[in-house]
Amino acid sequence: MPDNEATLEIGHLVSDFKPADGDLMGALHAVQHHYGYVPKIAMKVVARQLRLSEAQVYGAATFYSEFRLTPPPETLISWCSGPTCRLKGGDRIRQALETELGIGMGQNTPDNKLGLHFGQCNGTCEHAAQVWVDGKVTGPLTAADAVKLVRDLKK
Amino acid sequence: MPTFEELRQQGQAAWAAVEKPARPLFVVSINTSSIAAGARATYAALEKLAPSLGFDLMQTGDDGITWAEPIVQVRKPDGQHVLYGHVTPDRAEAFAAAAMQGVAKDHAVGVIHGSADGVPMLWELDWAKMQVRWLMYNCGVIDPDNIDHYFGRGGYHQFMDAVKMSRDDLINIVKGSTLRGHSGSFFSTGTKWQFLKDATAEPKYLVCNADEGDPGAWVNRVVMESDPHMLIEGLLIGAYATGATWGWIYLREEYPLAYERLNRAIADCRDRGILGENALGTGVRFDCEVVRGAGAYVCGDETGLISSINDERGMPRIKPPFPAQSGVLGKPTNVNNVETYACVTTLLRVGAETFSTVGPEANRGTKMFTVSGACAKTGCIEVPFGITVNELLAGIGGIAGGRPFKALQQGGPLSGLLPASIAGDLPLEPEPFRAAGVGMGGGGLIFLDDTHCVVDLNVMMAHFLEDESCARCTTCRIGNQRMVEIFERTARGEGREEDAGHLKQLDASMQFSNCFHGTLSPTLARNTLQHFREEYDAHLYEHRCPAKVCQGMIKYVVVGNSPALAEAAKICPDHIAATGPQPDTDGRCSRGGACRDVAPDEIAVQDRYDGAIPLRVIAPADVARSG
Repeated sequence: MPDNEATLEIGHLVSDFKPADGDLMGALHAVQHHYGYVPKIAMKVVARQLRLSEAQVYGAATFYSEFRLTPPPETLISWCSGPTCRLKGGDRIRQALETELGIGMGQNTPDNKLGLHFGQCNGTCEHAAQVWVDGKVTGPLTAADAVKLVRDLKK
Repeated sequence: MPTFEELRQQGQAAWAAVEKPARPLFVVSINTSSIAAGARATYAALEKLAPSLGFDLMQTGDDGITWAEPIVQVRKPDGQHVLYGHVTPDRAEAFAAAAMQGVAKDHAVGVIHGSADGVPMLWELDWAKMQVRWLMYNCGVIDPDNIDHYFGRGGYHQFMDAVKMSRDDLINIVKGSTLRGHSGSFFSTGTKWQFLKDATAEPKYLVCNADEGDPGAWVNRVVMESDPHMLIEGLLIGAYATGATWGWIYLREEYPLAYERLNRAIADCRDRGILGENALGTGVRFDCEVVRGAGAYVCGDETGLISSINDERGMPRIKPPFPAQSGVLGKPTNVNNVETYACVTTLLRVGAETFSTVGPEANRGTKMFTVSGACAKTGCIEVPFGITVNELLAGIGGIAGGRPFKALQQGGPLSGLLPASIAGDLPLEPEPFRAAGVGMGGGGLIFLDDTHCVVDLNVMMAHFLEDESCARCTTCRIGNQRMVEIFERTARGEGREEDAGHLKQLDASMQFSNCFHGTLSPTLARNTLQHFREEYDAHLYEHRCPAKVCQGMIKYVVVGNSPALAEAAKICPDHIAATGPQPDTDGRCSRGGACRDVAPDEIAVQDRYDGAIPLRVIAPADVARSG
């Protein structure tokens, strides 16, 4: 999409947010909800809307681990890095996922079909050790389950 | 706008229809945990069956009985009220038929009201009878999206009572209750509210810390998903007491259901004039909105949170100035945890006198805890302050599989780690934990057994703390990086003699950090050297992980033969053909252990000591003989 169209579209998305009103998080969430990530051009638009500098918006967007600056894969596997999942073999699941996918945390496969995200504990610990597949809690898993999961998703 | 009295009567009518339903009412728990267990599909299945079988359906939040999700309660017209568990979508139809005919024995967990043959009373079960459900009064009882239910059970009555008192009297009640911050800070809530009341700048703000970033703690999530109005009422009471006119609920991004339910509750409140210019006609002006975080742990620190709302990077700031002097937008602000605001509502609901009959003198009232890890039941409970860890653990069925209780990791990464020998007897109150050199924290309790490795936990926690450092202070940023390196090396069998001394030095330096993240990051490592020195030393000097967890010091070895080995070879992501006894891996094995998951008897985890020939002690006589 050409820049001026994108600017208009993003402008509409964030038009209700106000400067000095606690709205930066909301604006960035609105952008990410729509595009799946925060494109660079969005930071320009948000900065203008909230009367911040682009550097301030960029600084905030890069501070928070849940704001993506690159497009998400078609299917995102979020791996739980929490302690209860760790106690239930979470680290072996990470090894299995990274090896089977051939990528590391925060990366997408070359065809952009699958990707790995470093996730934080959300308190569904009765399903430990778990991952989220496009936001859906999937667990408890063994390392073997994780390998099978990836192979099924690859098909 | 409706009056309080009108809303109360409407609520009571709505609630009476639930308590005394005209026909059987199925109440399905819909919360983040139950959804992960399939509750939405169970609800959909029951919805299809409802017309033909003749029952009504309702959703509720989280009663904390997570180990039995998906949970369905059945209320019958005669007053019988039974709680059922494990009603997975595939079993919904059979369950519904059985529950309608009588009692679905296969699923019955306990009777809440009335009786049912062969089913125990719910509140007499071990894990239930140690609880006092004040904060969780409505959790798993009402429909969290239905404000009438909240009114029907006494909702917003507390606020109406509060505004009849003077603001000073109200704050004195809060002070006198011993109520302190339930996030783990345990700072006197009444005193904090006094600070905000005394501030002269305007406008004044209330902030609710719903970031709940400590892994293993989800007590706030339970409240927000099950009884959002209890939180809003607490904010309203706080607004009256302090003179605050606007509030933000800073909610972590990882709680989307809580976001929905809070927003629904706020909208319903605005529609009824509960939030706005004139709360229920009392003259109190207060409104609030939810602002979502985006994955930064330090935004659980009150000044980090404030920075985040201020359109900045969520980096904690030095105090003073304290938030009551200068907080959001430089205005006087009070930040309290979700549970703390809920406690105020609860305090006024049960009354100060009753409140003071539960818990020890220094810590009256109750605390919500979430239990996970090696314990037999994973879930959320509410107990009086002062119950010991061992008592709590016994109540939830001890450690799973009868394994020994090895250690407790409570209150998130910054609160430390204790061996069972010390933790077990500690009353769950902040002071005994502080005396033991740790924090009690905000309610997360993670239990470890003998299959878990403390060094491995340190690796995970060191990474977390380093990742989440805002990086402002050199001591925290660099100190945490060094701790990651030390524990990574130790877990690989490359620990160094000087590491322990370095950890002590790092600990001392990191005390010069700006916020608790820096000053408390060394706690877990310090506890490890204090209480788990043998285990640490085994990694360091013997290059051995006693629990056989640390991947750098174990290998997977074929010890048996069966068709399962073919499965193991298929599942191996490193594509190692499992031929025994020692497959040639060329160092490729990434230690995921998927092979062992499918062939546990044929593949063993071994360390360098397994199969080592023991040294024979040569006696002097033998030396002489061998000449």
